[in-house]
Amino acid sequence: MANVMEIYQLLPKTNCKECGKSTCMAFAVDLLARKVSVDDCPPLVNDAKYKAGYEKLSEMIAPVSGVTDTGLIVHEDKCIGCGNCVVACPVNVANDPLGAGSGKAPTSDKVIFKVEDGVVKARNVQECRRFGENRILCVACIDTCPTKAIEFV
Amino acid sequence: MGFGQFLASPEIKLKVVTYRDVFQNTAQETSRFGEEYEKSSAVIKLDPKDIAKLAIKDGDTVIVKNSSGRVVVKAMKSDYEDSHAGIAYMVNSPWSNSLVPDETGGTGVPKFKNFEVTVQGAKGGKVTGISEIF
Amino acid sequence: MSEYYVCTGCALLCDDIEVETENSKIKTVHAACRKGVARMKGCSDPLECTVDSENADIDFAIAKAAEILREAENPLIFGHGNSSSEAQKLSIGLAKKVGAYLDDTSSFCQGPVIEAILQDKLKTCTLDDIRHKADVIIFWGADPSNSHPRHLSRYSYFPRGKERQRGWEEDRTAICVDVRKSETAVICGDNRFYQIPMGGDAEFMDALLSALSSKVPKTSFGFDAKRILELANVLKKAKFGVICVGLGLIYSLEDLEPLFRLMDKLNEVSDFNLMPMVGQYNMRGFNHNLYEEAGYINRVKFNSETADAEHGPDFSVVEALRNKTVDAALVIGSDPLSSLPLSVSRYLAEIPLITIDPCRNLTSSKAKVTIPCALGGVESGGTAVRMDGVEVELKKILDTENLPDAEILRKITEAI
Ligand code: SF4
Ligand code: SF4
Ligand code: SF4
Repeated sequence: MANVMEIYQLLPKTNCKECGKSTCMAFAVDLLARKVSVDDCPPLVNDAKYKAGYEKLSEMIAPVSGVTDTGLIVHEDKCIGCGNCVVACPVNVANDPLGAGSGKAPTSDKVIFKVEDGVVKARNVQECRRFGENRILCVACIDTCPTKAIEFV
Repeated sequence: MGFGQFLASPEIKLKVVTYRDVFQNTAQETSRFGEEYEKSSAVIKLDPKDIAKLAIKDGDTVIVKNSSGRVVVKAMKSDYEDSHAGIAYMVNSPWSNSLVPDETGGTGVPKFKNFEVTVQGAKGGKVTGISEIF
Repeated sequence: MSEYYVCTGCALLCDDIEVETENSKIKTVHAACRKGVARMKGCSDPLECTVDSENADIDFAIAKAAEILREAENPLIFGHGNSSSEAQKLSIGLAKKVGAYLDDTSSFCQGPVIEAILQDKLKTCTLDDIRHKADVIIFWGADPSNSHPRHLSRYSYFPRGKERQRGWEEDRTAICVDVRKSETAVICGDNRFYQIPMGGDAEFMDALLSALSSKVPKTSFGFDAKRILELANVLKKAKFGVICVGLGLIYSLEDLEPLFRLMDKLNEVSDFNLMPMVGQYNMRGFNHNLYEEAGYINRVKFNSETADAEHGPDFSVVEALRNKTVDAALVIGSDPLSSLPLSVSRYLAEIPLITIDPCRNLTSSKAKVTIPCALGGVESGGTAVRMDGVEVELKKILDTENLPDAEILRKITEAI
């Protein structure tokens, strides 16, 4: 699996900020977390001299989108069981609007996140909006986590 | 240790802000006397510039003292992006409370979150244990 | 697994907790946060029943405790943040009977704010109101991600509510004002985080007040006026705003006037409520109970003959210990040797001291009499008052040999 440095090496490394990030490193981190996509870096897409990097990166970042290999990791040592991801995840909201979606303990088995013994447990991950046919770049669980305990690799 | 111990370690004055931490709080629920509680409590978070001034490394122990008390705790580099040189962070605990002055101006409320200390490298000295604080 | 229990890990008193038990121990806890789970599973060093550091039976310990309180001229009864309302009421009765100083942790925490709320000087609402209606939420000197881990997910930011159906990104704005970039500040985002210098809260409030009055906001620390005006604009447009007040703000203010001024102004231009971020699970309960009984929320001394209460800073736990005006102490559900400045609390070790608690702590290690009690919300039931003033019923999950805190206090009172 790719790491941040490998991704960074393939970026223009000019810190041009066109992607909206302050540095290419920041972009690399977000790319690894799938918060942005390769096409969000304009020079990489448009400038012929970065073509090789663009192709390599597209290859590196793409394969994860297979439905089976979801790549969701919960760092249990960091998780504080706050339930932010439980309540924010759109799948949890859709499948359990009156439980998880309303801030309470999940009342359905179809949720992705549930807190057990003070740390979050992920299941039904195939339901995650990042995968499948109509996938979107959902970051609800990553952005709401106070300790950065959730990661997609 | 060798030569270093004959040189006075640099000493700096800092302001301390205390805060709460859920991991430390969790450790407290399990045991006030446990290793986890000491590990998560007996810590002072410093700006990299202050660490440099103290001529210590991330993770070294330091003596933190003022007229109210003296404790040895572990110094750690804080991970805030913005520089906060001159200000140090300690989690609210018996270690921080042993440094809170008893002045209240008659209000009944001590300055728990804002007090001054001097900090100096402890040259490998051991962290003050909870039973030794008293 | 169908019954819901209440977590007593903090004053959110989350009431959606399911547990699985095995061999009269809690095996798995569902939905509670990390610290709540640690609370419910119990501590690893339970308190033993002792007199002068020797194991004792409970009746002897109770008799000894009664003797200490009877013989003292000016006993102090302190703690109560982790006690049921039933125990708190008995504590008040006991203090009356022996003419004690009576105080709780609110004395050096959220006390002033709760007092102002009970006296109708600050507009407040319930946590459920926040979930259903709040669109602008300010965490001021508060870091719930560490102190009340489920605050944002259960009530203040992420959940859907009656008038907040579309999710937090569209429906709510969370703002953080603090001296450091806490985990909560990170969640609010850089645009919505206002980092102010230590002690700068009052000034920042007044600058915000100017901005709300369409004047140019100025601070001595040169805070970007544009950003304050921007903030004022967001607050003006709020339909239902809340300021969640943490200890960072309370400790930084000399008095509450700047907060009163700001709240008044905010309610002129929009609709704002205040939520005290109470820490211990039943601190607010003690304030309510004492207020009902004596007209004060904390810091009283009872006259044993007339049962009248005197009130003021001199009767606070901190001043009483600092000035050494008390000559014995009963500490219940609290660990002042850990939570007060050592320079103040040290005196406790010099006087006859009684502790009632489920677990060993620094205070109990210096006590003459230690009496273990049942863990509230796990080994005993009772009532407690949530941070927003709503009463919550606690249920017992496990059996224990230890008496509930209320029962111990009743026995001590009878033995005097
Ligand atoms: S990425 Fe979105 S849908 Fe997938 S688990 Fe996280 S919050 Fe849920
Ligand atoms: S948001 Fe993060 S810390 Fe909170 S429960 Fe989810 S993974 Fe754990
Ligand atoms: S937020 Fe507080 S009441 Fe809720 S589960 Fe965590 S510790 Fe318990």
